[in-house]
Amino acid sequence: MTELLSVKDLSFNWGENEVLKGINFTIQPREIVAILGVNGAGKSTLIKCINRIIKMDSGSVKVFSNDLQSFNLIGLSKLMSYVPQSVRSSFGIDVFDVVLLGRRPHITWRVSTRDRNIVSETIRFLSLEEFAFRRFDQLSGGERQRVIIAKAVAQDANLILMDEPTSDLDLKNQIGTMKSIKQIISQSQDKAALIAIHDINIAAKFADRILLLHEGKIVSNGTPSGVLTPENIATVFGVTSQIIPSKGDKPMRILIEDELQEENE
Amino acid sequence: MITVSDLSSQYIEKSKRHILLIVLISILTLLFAVYSMGTGSSSNLGFWSTLRIILGLEEGSNVQNAIIWKLRFPRILMAIVGGTALATAGALMQGALGNPLVSPLTLGVASGAALGAALAIVLGWAFIDNSDLTIVLNAFLFSLLVVFIIIQLGNRRSISPESYILVGIAITFISGAVVSTLQYFATDAQLSALAHWSFGSLSRPKIENAVFISFILVILLPVSLIWSWDLNALSMGGDEFAISTGVDPVRIRKNILILSALMTSVVIAFTGLIGFVGLAAPHMSRIFVGNDFRKLIPCSAVLGSFLMLFADTLGRTLFAPVVIPVGIMLSVIGGPFFMYLLLKKSGGKY
Repeated sequence: MTELLSVKDLSFNWGENEVLKGINFTIQPREIVAILGVNGAGKSTLIKCINRIIKMDSGSVKVFSNDLQSFNLIGLSKLMSYVPQSVRSSFGIDVFDVVLLGRRPHITWRVSTRDRNIVSETIRFLSLEEFAFRRFDQLSGGERQRVIIAKAVAQDANLILMDEPTSDLDLKNQIGTMKSIKQIISQSQDKAALIAIHDINIAAKFADRILLLHEGKIVSNGTPSGVLTPENIATVFGVTSQIIPSKGDKPMRILIEDELQEENE
Repeated sequence: MITVSDLSSQYIEKSKRHILLIVLISILTLLFAVYSMGTGSSSNLGFWSTLRIILGLEEGSNVQNAIIWKLRFPRILMAIVGGTALATAGALMQGALGNPLVSPLTLGVASGAALGAALAIVLGWAFIDNSDLTIVLNAFLFSLLVVFIIIQLGNRRSISPESYILVGIAITFISGAVVSTLQYFATDAQLSALAHWSFGSLSRPKIENAVFISFILVILLPVSLIWSWDLNALSMGGDEFAISTGVDPVRIRKNILILSALMTSVVIAFTGLIGFVGLAAPHMSRIFVGNDFRKLIPCSAVLGSFLMLFADTLGRTLFAPVVIPVGIMLSVIGGPFFMYLLLKKSGGKY
């Protein structure tokens, strides 16, 4: 089967500062790929380059073997949806209307019955019914984040790009939201997700593959158990850790112990 | 438990309610226009006789016909189309810049018009020398100059919403300084003419002017509606959100701003500075129909025309035969009402 996404030698600079230096990876359909790395490692930048929100300096991105630049914005938004770190609005907009914006690439003027049903189903699927006709700007940070995720889901794109989608969520909603994403991806034939995330245990539990981003390069790319070793975690995050391997239904867990004491080594 | 069909039907109900509201405001505006036609300071022309003359049931005298068709009708038409244009421009600009503080006066279009008017009044500088239209044309052409500046700004790829607003403020300061200097050297008669222009009024209306604005609106309003979905995305979550929804924020913002600047300049040139309706009507409409521009644009348009007509009718009847300019009436009555609506509806935040 063709790769859903293929990124080759992607580089990006903010002025003099090289943020991404020759990134290479691919994503297969039905895969959830997590990007891990410290603050400023370039996780958000990578996602924004893929989504054409910012323009990469060199390299190529292909979606189903077609070059990223060959799509117009509407075409691109049918292929990729995006959940930014946070969304603020100065105007009072109903949650239903926010999720409906996910249908924007499919709508010319009228909202069809199908669009309306997809939005309603998505709202149900992510348990947002009780907020559906409340104003987005009056919700809590976590509720807003879930609404934006619902908008991305309603967009029905092949690749869901997410930038810290669970950062504002409480523990139950972190798990619930990631489960919903997993369900969407695994039930489809041609969907995948690329998720920048801070919590390595969430990544270990839900991702099929992990990209470890360090100083603008991918230093490790593989299954959670292959990538999340004490050595890799020490190199990238500068902390010591202990790994509890997965057992039966239980996912692998990473216990963070302390800062790495360089003087003592 | 709330089911999928509950959500769907609730959305439909809500949309129907909004459309009904827009229709009601339109009807109210039309009824009020009829009432306004029959109301004024003329003692020999009551409401019912006006109605009979309009409907052709009674032969009006020359004076009566002149009052109805040469004075009241153009004035009422001007209030309706002017209110429509300014309110729509305000809604478009607030959406395109994602900023609720923006009004048609923000981009500097009105200040450009004021500068043009001042130059014509004080120095007699005019592009076209036609005693009747000198001031109007000068105001219009100078506001087009500002539209041109906005187009040039929009051609820069990196322009942010804030840059548009800041440039608008800079233009306002510059033309304000020039206008003040002109006032300093102006004669008393010129000063009075300048003050009168800046009040924003619908006095000495001309049917051609109102028809001209109507004509422009017939073209520009449908165009602005085409961009409703783009505006929905842009006003919701800014540029990144818009791009991921398939909208090019830079291009749409530029187009919308040019469109709304044009709408503003055609009205302001004829009426002088009327700012409040362009700020208040979109916000009131948002309270009534939400932020979906497919409904927000029509609602702002009809509400703007109603507010303008209401304020002008009140202005010319309240202290008749003294006429209070519509710009002043709008701010005096509309201001407190607007604040009341905002505070009541949303606990402050809008």
